[in-house]
Amino acid sequence: MHGVKRVRHTREALEAKKLREQAKLTDYLALTDDLLHRKQENDYSLDAFKLTTRLLQVNPEFYTIWNYRRQILIKGIFPEKQPREIYEYINEELGNTMAALKSHPKVYWIWNHRRWCLENIPNNPDADGLEAVNKWKSATWDREMMVVEKLLNADARNFHAWSYRRYILANTTNPRPEVTEIAYTTSKIEANFSNFSAWHHRSKVYSSLWTSGKLDEAKCKEDEFDLVQNAMYTDPNDQSVWIYHRWLVGTDSSAELLNREVRAIEELLDQESNNKWCIESLVHYKRMLLSKVDGDERERLSAECKQLLERLQTLDPCRRERYASMIKQL
Amino acid sequence: MSSPPKLLIPLHVSYIQKLGESKDDLSYHLTAHLRLNAVYWGLTALCIMGHKDALDREEMIDFVMSCWDEEAGGFGAHPKHDAHLLSTLSAIQILVIQDALDKLEISRVVKFILSLQQPSGVFAGDSFGEIDTRFSYCAVSALSLLGHLHGLDVEKTVSYIEKCRNFDGGFGNTIGAESHSGQVFVCVAALAILDRLDVIDDQMLGWWLAERQLPNGGLNGRPEKLEDVCYSFWVLSALSILKKVSWIDADKLSSFILSAQDLEGGGIADRPGDMVDVFHTLFGVAGLSILGYPGLVDLDPVYCMPAPVIEAKGLRKGWQSLERRVSQD
Ligand SMILES: [Zn+2]
Repeated sequence: MHGVKRVRHTREALEAKKLREQAKLTDYLALTDDLLHRKQENDYSLDAFKLTTRLLQVNPEFYTIWNYRRQILIKGIFPEKQPREIYEYINEELGNTMAALKSHPKVYWIWNHRRWCLENIPNNPDADGLEAVNKWKSATWDREMMVVEKLLNADARNFHAWSYRRYILANTTNPRPEVTEIAYTTSKIEANFSNFSAWHHRSKVYSSLWTSGKLDEAKCKEDEFDLVQNAMYTDPNDQSVWIYHRWLVGTDSSAELLNREVRAIEELLDQESNNKWCIESLVHYKRMLLSKVDGDERERLSAECKQLLERLQTLDPCRRERYASMIKQL
Repeated sequence: MSSPPKLLIPLHVSYIQKLGESKDDLSYHLTAHLRLNAVYWGLTALCIMGHKDALDREEMIDFVMSCWDEEAGGFGAHPKHDAHLLSTLSAIQILVIQDALDKLEISRVVKFILSLQQPSGVFAGDSFGEIDTRFSYCAVSALSLLGHLHGLDVEKTVSYIEKCRNFDGGFGNTIGAESHSGQVFVCVAALAILDRLDVIDDQMLGWWLAERQLPNGGLNGRPEKLEDVCYSFWVLSALSILKKVSWIDADKLSSFILSAQDLEGGGIADRPGDMVDVFHTLFGVAGLSILGYPGLVDLDPVYCMPAPVIEAKGLRKGWQSLERRVSQD
């Protein structure tokens, strides 16, 4: 249970509530028993199907009933139907699950059922040519992007919705250019720099575009550094931005790039004295530089890291022991 | 700030005992799909508080066996519910804690579990095919508890988990998904069972996990999200497997968990002032155990079961919790 305020009821209030719920409870238990019994008897009738609709409206987490509902469709209803009718059933399922997701956006079972629906859209047998045959599929999958956008508008951090988005992008019959995802995450990030889900998605999309050679890594990174710097100045206490910056710098950057980023962060630190994230990031990048230099330069950097880590121990006492272990490693 | 209350063990024990008594309550029946999991949560919380016998052993074993799904060869969450890996792991955990594995047709369950591995190496939760690293953990933990890890394709299992690792050191529920503390726990614990912690970047992940602590002491599940008692366990268990529990402020987290107790009715909530449930009660108590709270039994963070049970089976891995403090009163 999450985010439900505790209220202290009197004994009388509790009794009254129980009395009010009595009819609902009796109905729910009878419906549950009836359906589990029908399921055991392999009843794949339309009656049973309608009863699952009723039960799932009351309890969308009843996974056994979702399973049963799919069995009724596969074994009882679809075998007797024309493809067009099957398509209509599936559209209805999509409509129902959308309504359910609006009030229960984090219930795994509803998202599952929706995936199952998409994967079971029939071909149009009356059409000619592959495109026409696949028309129902492509129309439905295309619409899903709008659905997922609606859900991400309601909660921009819902990881079910983000996963579903990646699933649609990977499986749709009309793939959109991957680069449109960059624009989408830009809009999400501009609306709220704290949206780490969007930053994360962006890192995945860029990685893929760079690996496939569709975008030039060096050029993109320069623009990204500008965006991130802007975000850092807007809210230097927002860890989303700093984590993304760490990804952007990566693990095998040149000394030149590391020095440039160190200077930029030091400038920000001048304005935001004692900002923990500035100092912590400086330590991270300076430690990376340590492996690239030796002699006096190394001594100097190491001393700087130690001093910064000691500052962090006072500024961020919760993680004092982590900083202590880093000092030991120097 | 006033000092936090103590852990009210007798009150929580009676809260858990009473959970089964609310059968005339609608909300009780609306959670039937989690019943077997809830029994495991309640039993483990009782064990950690040193009150294993507060629930009747025979009655519990009978209930577990009544959830057996003969057709699938696994356990559902409730009698007549379909078998699923989540409830199958709970059933096995309960039977192991109660030393009643002899009730089980082990070879059938093992077959059910192994049948759910996909070509990519990840596990599906049931025959309908939803995949998630949570289910990989369920499979690995269950097979290990049953002494049947040898039947598992370890390379394939590890390779999928590895592909879910992100640049921040954390893990997501599928390839490409954002790191999340719950998924970090399942992936790190599965890798610990398979002796493959080499897959983890422990400095990076340790950093990400330590940054889950918020100024109020509580832990969140992802960057820039709210704190929640259940993350106390997920973040702490991973830190304890990495031997880095000291990287967060134990006192502040203990106070946060203790302040989420219902001081009248017992139980622990997600946050101070919210409704309690058995899930957060277990994860609150589990977190306190890892933090060395006085008077509690050690929790094995890999299996989320009482450590003595796991040690007796010879399954203990090299995790490290904080040393148990001695009560000051
Ligand atoms: Zn929670």
